[in-house]
Amino acid sequence: MTLRGTIVFAAGVLVALGAGWAGFPRVIYKTYTQPVDFSHQVHADKAGSKCDDCHAFRADGSFAGVPTLDKCAGCHAAAMGSTVAEKNFIDRYVTPGREPQWLVYARQPENVYFSHITHVKRGNLKCEQCHGAQGTSNTLPPYQQDRISGYSRDIWGHAGRPAMTMDACVACHRQSHLEHSCLDCHK
Amino acid sequence: MRNRRDIFKFAGGAVAGAFFTPAPWRLLTDTALWSENWPGIPRPARGEISSKFTNCALCPAGCAVRARCVGDQPVSLAGVGGGLCPFGLTAHHLPYHPARLRKGPVQEATAAVFQSASQRAPNAIAVLDLNPGRTVSWTYRRAMASLKGLYLAPESHPVAYDLSAARTILSIGAPLLHGWGTPANVLAARPNFRLIQAEAVESRTAMLADEWIRIAPGTESAFAQSIPSLAYAKGIDLVLGDAPEIPEINRQLGAFGKTVFARPEAPVPESWIKNAADITELAAVPDHSISLLLIDESSAVSYIPWHRIQRKLVRENPLVVTFAVTRGGYARYAQYALPTAVYPELLDDIAPAVDCIHPTFRIAAPLVSSPKGLVNPADFVSALAGLSASNSLRERADAIRQAGLGAVFTYADAKQTPLKDLTADAFWKSLNEGARWDRPPGLSTLARPSATSRAPEPPESSSDLPLVAIREPYTPALVSPLMTKLYQESGLLLAPNRVALHPADARASGVTNGARAMLQTHLGKCAVEVTVDPAVPPGAVQVGSSPGIQDVCGLSSRAKVVSL
Repeated sequence: MTLRGTIVFAAGVLVALGAGWAGFPRVIYKTYTQPVDFSHQVHADKAGSKCDDCHAFRADGSFAGVPTLDKCAGCHAAAMGSTVAEKNFIDRYVTPGREPQWLVYARQPENVYFSHITHVKRGNLKCEQCHGAQGTSNTLPPYQQDRISGYSRDIWGHAGRPAMTMDACVACHRQSHLEHSCLDCHK
Repeated sequence: MRNRRDIFKFAGGAVAGAFFTPAPWRLLTDTALWSENWPGIPRPARGEISSKFTNCALCPAGCAVRARCVGDQPVSLAGVGGGLCPFGLTAHHLPYHPARLRKGPVQEATAAVFQSASQRAPNAIAVLDLNPGRTVSWTYRRAMASLKGLYLAPESHPVAYDLSAARTILSIGAPLLHGWGTPANVLAARPNFRLIQAEAVESRTAMLADEWIRIAPGTESAFAQSIPSLAYAKGIDLVLGDAPEIPEINRQLGAFGKTVFARPEAPVPESWIKNAADITELAAVPDHSISLLLIDESSAVSYIPWHRIQRKLVRENPLVVTFAVTRGGYARYAQYALPTAVYPELLDDIAPAVDCIHPTFRIAAPLVSSPKGLVNPADFVSALAGLSASNSLRERADAIRQAGLGAVFTYADAKQTPLKDLTADAFWKSLNEGARWDRPPGLSTLARPSATSRAPEPPESSSDLPLVAIREPYTPALVSPLMTKLYQESGLLLAPNRVALHPADARASGVTNGARAMLQTHLGKCAVEVTVDPAVPPGAVQVGSSPGIQDVCGLSSRAKVVSL
């Protein structure tokens, strides 16, 4: 290949790399903002909340997931601070009694059964091991939804968060010698 | 770029570069995930996961059920304190069954029934209840007493068997260990009795019995007549089966009052008992006397062949209305088929089980709401008689509560609470959450049954019908489509529309495994599919339990299978 041919080839490589790394994510992911500008950090620092104060287990061991408005309204029936985010939250959701439509970064496919209590109580996993540093973040990152598969970008491990894919689950189970059968997770 | 060669080089570079980006790998994965979510792939509802308790209403066993629900939608059923049969495990599919009856000419049927009822002669109106012993059965009896009509049921004096008191049981073809009574009761009593199964085929009960006596197909009655001598030799103290001689044999064996009792019912309000029509067996009704027949087959646990019913209808313009969940049963013959709720949509109590000698009361509480346009048979019949019966379940629960006996067992916490410790509202609430009320042995008065032997059916001629039909146990009218997998792949159950033949008989009939054929008896013919099975004895045809087959096959019918 001549020098000129090499340059043309390299230009093609560079264009593809640019498109693949910079342009492709913008095209493939649709970005949504969460309904409320929520700060985990404020709740952890000022209110002294721990993860399981809001993301609690029910009496039967099932995981309540994202808290419902009742839980939030328990403290925020009236404004506790002076932030715009809190005022908006009270005006838009608490006062009219409207449940915020949170977008769940960790939503898994329908064919997977995941038991939080098994992993937290028996496996002694910390929340951060799967959810990253979410608990100390000051703002909620945008929810990026894959236009083709419909899943959140965070499932694949993104912006410092660990992946929550089947490969990641299998790797952790293998490391802990808990790789029993497909039916452990797929019901 | 100046020429075509440069364009190719650039494209080649772009392709090579693309492999070092996430794009192709992401697209591969995304496409695979996208294909998992194509339209038509069922997706369970998202929502809070919870457990609800109820009782299965598919048969009188009334097994306790724990339903795993996502939001308000049950997504799986499991037994509590015992398993569930395949029909019960998949019952949450029934409301969505493609063959389910959803619409019917309700207004037209109502007008026709009210008109016919106003013009009828005494005893010309009847209700046929194919799941007697429920609270709704008492509503029918009260309505018929008010209208001077007949309340018809398959048995007028049903009995209950105490397996725990039996030492040696002879079962003549009864599926004792595969669908006869309440599985938990039967299995609990099983270690204490010896089971002799007399049957033409090696059924699952025959396989699990202590002794299997292989009898010739169609000789059940003859075998039953030889029991008194056999009973002495083998120490038999209880005989089970469908042969008409069996009640009298049990009486002779001294089983009445020891292992056979009148089937007990939970208390009912006194006013109901005073104003209820008697239970009449269909055979006792004069031929051609019923002009208006209402059939409740919405939760049928048995099927009466149509020719026996037809014989009782007046010759000119009888009106038959059936309350059904599918068109497969009497809807084929009735003028009007009205759709009803199906378990687990319906609110109904469970009829007493054949193996429970003490009164119990359980409710099948709805797990899903029923669609609009359905008819409640109890409301329909009570409206015809001018009764108000919409609250009858609660009235009965209150009557039980007033008696104050027995205890309530709640499955959610496995606790037994004396009934006297509960208020009427708390009792009703616990029943609706799947609890079971029992009156324990010490508090029950067990009634001796009356022997009601039926006349044996005369043997049929075998000149042109070379095979003897062996019937499979009755299965619910509507079962989950998933059951077809069980029928096709396990061989454990004969599908309702199938017949099974010995290979020699199949060859003689000119049919092969899987072929479509015609089952012919002296009553008519019915299209069936053929299974060739060497376990079926030569000279017999094992027939499924579909209404079509039962319409042409009586007990020990003779039949032939004709190739199509």
